[in-house]
Amino acid sequence: MVSDSIANASIPIAAKDFPRKKRANRSAKLKQCKLDARREQWLSQDAWRLVCSEFKCEVVRFVGYGSNYTSSVYMGPSEAKKSNKHLDVSGHAVMLTDHFESRNGTKFFYIQNSHGEDWRSGGYGKIVKNKGCKGEPDASVVVDAHNERGQSIENLEIMPREDMKVESVHPYSDLDSPSNSPTSHTSIALGSTVSGTNFSGSSGDSSSGSSWSGSVTGEDEEGDDECLDDWEAVADALAATNDKKKQHTNPSLEQHINAIDSPPELAHRPASQIVTSYPKPECVEKVQMVPPTGRAWKPDDTFRPQSLPNLSKQLSFPMNSGRHYGCGGVTWSSNNAPSLPSSCPICCEDLDFTDSTFLPCLCGFRLCLFCHKRILEEDGRCPGCRKQYNGGPIVGEATLDGGGLRLARSCSMIMRS
Amino acid sequence: MTTINRQDSNTPVTAPPIASSKQPLPTVKTVDTQSVRKRLQSELMALMMSGDSGISAFPEEDNLFNWKGTISGSKDTVFEGTEYKLSLSFPNDYPFKSPKVKFETSCFHPNVDVFGNICLDILQDKWSSAYDVRTILISIQSLLGEPNTASPLNTQAASLWGNQEEYRKMVEKLYKPVA
Repeated sequence: MVSDSIANASIPIAAKDFPRKKRANRSAKLKQCKLDARREQWLSQDAWRLVCSEFKCEVVRFVGYGSNYTSSVYMGPSEAKKSNKHLDVSGHAVMLTDHFESRNGTKFFYIQNSHGEDWRSGGYGKIVKNKGCKGEPDASVVVDAHNERGQSIENLEIMPREDMKVESVHPYSDLDSPSNSPTSHTSIALGSTVSGTNFSGSSGDSSSGSSWSGSVTGEDEEGDDECLDDWEAVADALAATNDKKKQHTNPSLEQHINAIDSPPELAHRPASQIVTSYPKPECVEKVQMVPPTGRAWKPDDTFRPQSLPNLSKQLSFPMNSGRHYGCGGVTWSSNNAPSLPSSCPICCEDLDFTDSTFLPCLCGFRLCLFCHKRILEEDGRCPGCRKQYNGGPIVGEATLDGGGLRLARSCSMIMRS
Repeated sequence: MTTINRQDSNTPVTAPPIASSKQPLPTVKTVDTQSVRKRLQSELMALMMSGDSGISAFPEEDNLFNWKGTISGSKDTVFEGTEYKLSLSFPNDYPFKSPKVKFETSCFHPNVDVFGNICLDILQDKWSSAYDVRTILISIQSLLGEPNTASPLNTQAASLWGNQEEYRKMVEKLYKPVA
């Protein structure tokens, strides 16, 4: 995976100064806790719906971000059309975890991406709500330019809107590789996330409102099973919410937006060819892209992005397993896939990437570098098998699977004795 | 006077290097205690979440480094129906060093002496930092039913172990539960 390679590249730096890394780790964890707490509080108030109706941005799609994640730009459909690149088809959903207002009055969404903690600030980012007022549907723009681990969210750069267009014109092929296919990640990896992607607003079908609310209630830690099981359901659900919104939309505003957003040549394309779509009622209405069927993409659609998985049920997608790696007991949001034991069994501190690739003993017992050093200074025996540590440690040789198996064995041995 | 003054003015200058050279020691110590605390707290959590039957432990009121544990005798052993209190005291370099575990309730057992000291390899040379309170208590619980009569601390108990009926009577006779 791309994020893996990034993390690999950062090992030498990380190995150089443990303390700083450790501190960063801790602060990242703290931040995560805060975010989780805030999110829970927020969800408990049923604020999700509130945000949906207020900001009209229930699912945010990242469009055209680079493969190195140096920029992640959310673009509204209008921008996509302007740049005429069909960028919107590469829809990548992220989950809104919170919303807040900064001191200078800028409104943000906190988002969680599906790329694990290595993605920017522990997997979280911010999206600027562009104008930030009611009835302004064009929420847009993101965020930062770094893939630095543990980087504080507050330090993220916010791109001005002008830059957005430039940043977002990434070749579409960037998104084609399966490892990088954001749509296939998201709704599965985030579990019960309301992260529909790729909806061409089928405004007709209002009967599916139930599926929307269902996905909201599934927001909690219920797990993978609550995941939206159908792309169509997502599309329908969003369309249904859009319908509701449409009723409240100010017509003049709508006109205004349409004038800005929809170039005439795009407005009259046949429905089958319209590849850009967005849960924005104005677009749905004016452009009249109402697909004949309720589904988001037809399998034979020419413009169907390759990065999209097939329209079969997605429950069995392997990303499911990624969540199980994320160590039980920890909240759903820490899907730190690469680290099998999430914390050092000796000191209970979190294992960072260097630690989790550190395999000092053949028995497979893992521990953090600090504890290993400490043990070497004393009796020098592996806690897992009591054999003397000898020779240089084997760093980074264990694959995920191998490590997991061996770890399991060493654990069970401890239980027995 | 001048020398004193000079010393006074020097102290701020010389203080930082001294402090910085001295600081690592105390900070390391506090960090250590913190990490031990963290470990003990997570052990406590794990123990309470595990729901193991027959064992329990909890720190004493004001000291996370001293725990009181209880073990109930396993079913189908001569210790069935009895409950033993133990004290666990954790060293500052726990888990790299084993905790001191003692029976508070007198226990008539080949590997427990009259003072409550336990002869259990994992509490001595076979200790591993991967063990925790839970595994210790489970080990002691299983030790009750399966003593090592080859190296007894209580020779009377060791010799009586062969006669389980008599042994059971002895256990009941000597059992003084702490309220």
